Formats: sequence, C-alpha cells, structure tokens
Amino acid sequence: MELQAIHDTLKAAGVVGLLGCDEPRPANKKEKDPGRAGMPFLLVDPAEIVPLLTACRDESRLQFDLLIDLTASDPAADGDDLWVLIQLLSLKYRHRLAIKAHLPKSALSIASATAVYRAANWHERECSEMFGITFEGHPDPRKILLPDDWAGFPLRKDYEFPTEYHGISCE
Amino acid sequence: MGLLEESLDDNVLTTKVDWLLNWARLNSIWPMTFGLACCAIEMMAVGAAHHDLDRFGAGAFRASPRQADLMIVAGTVNFKMGERVKRLYDQMPSPKYVIAMGACATGGGPYFKYGYTVMKGVDRIIPVDVYIAGCPPRPEALLEGLMKLQEKIKRTPVIRRPAHTL
Repeated sequence: MELQAIHDTLKAAGVVGLLGCDEPRPANKKEKDPGRAGMPFLLVDPAEIVPLLTACRDESRLQFDLLIDLTASDPAADGDDLWVLIQLLSLKYRHRLAIKAHLPKSALSIASATAVYRAANWHERECSEMFGITFEGHPDPRKILLPDDWAGFPLRKDYEFPTEYHGISCE
Repeated sequence: MGLLEESLDDNVLTTKVDWLLNWARLNSIWPMTFGLACCAIEMMAVGAAHHDLDRFGAGAFRASPRQADLMIVAGTVNFKMGERVKRLYDQMPSPKYVIAMGACATGGGPYFKYGYTVMKGVDRIIPVDVYIAGCPPRPEALLEGLMKLQEKIKRTPVIRRPAHTL
C-alpha cells in the first residue's frame, strides 16, 4: 500500500493527529534523481502517537506488525524542534511506513511506544540518553549505552564534549 | 664455573636465576580471553592455525584474569568499559603485562576527535608495555609486538635488582 493510501486508511479509521504526508525534504539538485531525495513520511502530532501506532498495528488492511526503528534527529542547532522518527513494516502486506513527529526542544516529552511495540524499549532508552527525550510510561527508563552518571546528550547539535570523566582527561 | 660443573653429574646444568625465571616467563605468556572490537578478530587470527600464537607459548588464552599474564587490549576502550578493564587488570597476578593493540587502545584512534565516550588511550588507566600501530594491525604486527614483549621480559632483573629500585 502506498503512503497516501495508508494515510487515507488511518483517517477512515478515525485516527486523529495526522498532520500531513508525503513531504520529502527539498530536492537536492546535485543528486541524479532529485525526485527521490528523502523518504516519504507521515507527519503526526506527538500527542497522538500511541493511538496512531495502535491503529497502524491493528487495522486489518495495514497490519504493521514490526517496528523496524525508532530514533530521533536534531536537524539544526538553532532549530526549535527535534524529530522523532519511527519505521514500521508489515510482514503480511510487505509495505512500510515512516512516521515523523516534531518535538519542541522546550518540551521534549512523548508517550512511550512500548505499550504497542515492545521492540521500542531499547530504542527509546537510546533515544532518551542521546537526545534527552523523555518517553512517558516507559517501563525501564535507565540509560542503555552510556554510563549511568553521564551528563549531557551526545547526539544533540549543541552538545559540548566533556573535558574529563572520573578524573580521566578527554583531551 | 669449571670446578663446580666437574663436580656435578652430566644431567645438571648451571645458569643464572634471573635468566631462568625470565626464560620461563617469556615462553609462557598466557593472554586473557578478552576482545573489545575489530582488533580482536585479528587477535583470533593470530591464535588460529595460520599464524599460530602457540609457537611462542602464548596461545593459552585464559578465561580468567587470575590465570593470565598478559592483557591484550584489542579494540576501542570507552569509559564504561574502561572501569571493567581496570578491574580485570587489578585481578591479574604479577608479573603482568599489557599490549595496547591498534590505534584505539593506543590513543583513541578514529574516535579521537568526536568519540565522546572513547578513552584516548588505555594507558590512561593501566600501564602499557607494548604499543602496536595499525587499524587493525595485521596478525604479523601482533606477533612482532609479542616478540618485543619477550625481549622486554628477557631484560627484566628478577633477583638482582638495580640499586635505584631497592
């Protein structure tokens, strides 16, 4: 199923928070095929992420039963938003879906997807420690890769590298 | 030592204690089973049949630090792992030796500039005897490093220590 059809199916199922679809980033003229710049995605409201994912999983014509990835991106240091990016795959229909939610840097909080996809557990933990996003309702919100006492969010554009850790110089 | 040797049987050899102990040590350097990244793949190649680390008596990779003489730091050491590396080193019995294998263990390697959690060289937490260049080093380079370590052990005074260490 193509992205527009998926969007319409969700809309027909009564899902709210669909802000738009098929908004590839501006085409890069240097690329051979500028029309393929950027993967088409569904832009959604972060407040409605859990009902949306539930519908994606349970709707009989969608059946996105596999969470491929859940990550985030900090597109610009002076920007106002972080992006939360979710990739879904339906093993039955072989179609994919990219979901994107803009989170304002002033309120980095989104509901946890673990209630819908348990695979989101570790992805959200990594996302949380790397970008400082809080996943509300996460069953195990510890750090996953970094040491427990790590300060700062390394994948943010405004991240300042540490000069020392536990007395060991980083220079 | 002519008089002494004449008074002994043919089956007895005389030597220096330092030489004997160092000879025993350098021909049975047991490394710890311990790999952190891609360098460990090269280390496994050294242990396997083609390069055959056993020729140097160093092929007995021990699964416990308490039975090991040599720690080959084969790979990237980050701060979280660094604590464990230090603990393992402390559990090894003396005399113990450390080889920093490859660019990461030597000085952070490709993660030097942007590796926020990578330690810029394992010598910031434990003393290193031999550094091996390469990313990763070829198996021959690790063998060369092991032979360098053997040369170092050969020169170590065991009984007769230099005056400044007393």
